[in-house]
Amino acid sequence: MRRASVPAEAGRDVSGPARAGHSVLCGAGILLIASLASMASPVLAQSQAPRQDPERGVFGPVGALGQEVRRSQALTSPAPRLPDGTIDLGDGIWVGGGPVNDLAQGLKKGEELPLLPSARQVMAERAKRPTDDPHLWCLPMGVPRSTPYPFRFVPNYTHRKPTHMFILHEGNIHSYRQVFMDGRKHPSEPDPTWFGHSIGSWEKDTLVIDTVGYNDKFWFDRRGTPHTEQLHTIERWTRVNMGTLVNAVTIDDPGAFSRPFTVTFNARLSPPTDDIIENICQENNQFGVAGGHANPFAGP
Amino acid sequence: MNRTLAVLVAVLVLVAPGTPLFAHHSFSSEYDGEKTFTITGVVAKVEWTNPHVRFYVDVKEPDGTMANWNLELASPSALARNGWNSRTLKVGDTVTVLGYSGKAVPTRGAARSVVVADGRSLFAGTAEDPDSQPR
Repeated sequence: MRRASVPAEAGRDVSGPARAGHSVLCGAGILLIASLASMASPVLAQSQAPRQDPERGVFGPVGALGQEVRRSQALTSPAPRLPDGTIDLGDGIWVGGGPVNDLAQGLKKGEELPLLPSARQVMAERAKRPTDDPHLWCLPMGVPRSTPYPFRFVPNYTHRKPTHMFILHEGNIHSYRQVFMDGRKHPSEPDPTWFGHSIGSWEKDTLVIDTVGYNDKFWFDRRGTPHTEQLHTIERWTRVNMGTLVNAVTIDDPGAFSRPFTVTFNARLSPPTDDIIENICQENNQFGVAGGHANPFAGP
Repeated sequence: MNRTLAVLVAVLVLVAPGTPLFAHHSFSSEYDGEKTFTITGVVAKVEWTNPHVRFYVDVKEPDGTMANWNLELASPSALARNGWNSRTLKVGDTVTVLGYSGKAVPTRGAARSVVVADGRSLFAGTAEDPDSQPR
């Protein structure tokens, strides 16, 4: 049995709200420069924005979007381990690890999604009504889409053995995934659900989550990349160091794609001061009103 | 940075020609990134709710009538991680709001910047799609 390593805390960004307030002003200074520059060229404000530290965004530590928060450099010290030697995934919250705009962004350079004609047709229809994306109406984002909401791995043990790995998702709705770690198999005919039926195991230092039994409702990304109930995902979560968790997801769906393919996304450890915050999406979702869009999931 | 400069900065950003800095998919389906507004009024209500924080501002129109604007911010969690809390904006505060107008309802807006009467300039975390890429 290996001893658990001590998580390295040094170097983490522990800046808090007080600093955030100060940084608003600093960020405003950056904005001033960018805005003045934009007067000379219509696209300058945007095109020159990347001159800032890409990890800090246009506004510095205070995200203009309210999403891009305090971000320090990813920690590169070794990944911590539990007393039994297993990689510890549960000592912080993670952000990232999935697609947002386009699932294909996770492909290797030069690759394309092997979409079947039927899937292309679905995407074309969805492109006409992008506001039908279920997550905009407080329905789940599915797998592997979860960003930019923080999530946390929570292993569950009994006195005998590990039983589950739960993944708690702050958003897009207050939700969780249940991964069975007790060696069971998938049911032969699972009823379709948003997050499917997941079984997990460790392959060396990689947590492998195998999931079937999805419904066909969630969109992989904003583009509306589709799937069917034949979807089978294999996620391989590898904490390559203290601050980075790599999620390589093999997607196999003969109803939407001509062959299996793998997309890879990185998640990043949040500062130790950060925790999951309640996010009850259904509470006051007024999406669509300002733009005149009806809820496609509302009853008759 | 004083209030004047903060306002100047915000205005400059808003009037900067070209594509809005933070336009994205669901934002553009709700709000017109080319149509900005500046209003000054009194906060009538604050909703520290998901998926977006909202606040409502009573604004005196040129004809003397009052209009109630419905303004959208980021999510409570996103704002909290940027130093806001449910008491940052209070009912009765006089605020100047810069933002983007709703496409279908002009008195709905995505707040881009909020300047409170005491001079605090609060970047609002424009009511972007919570799905925006964090990295």
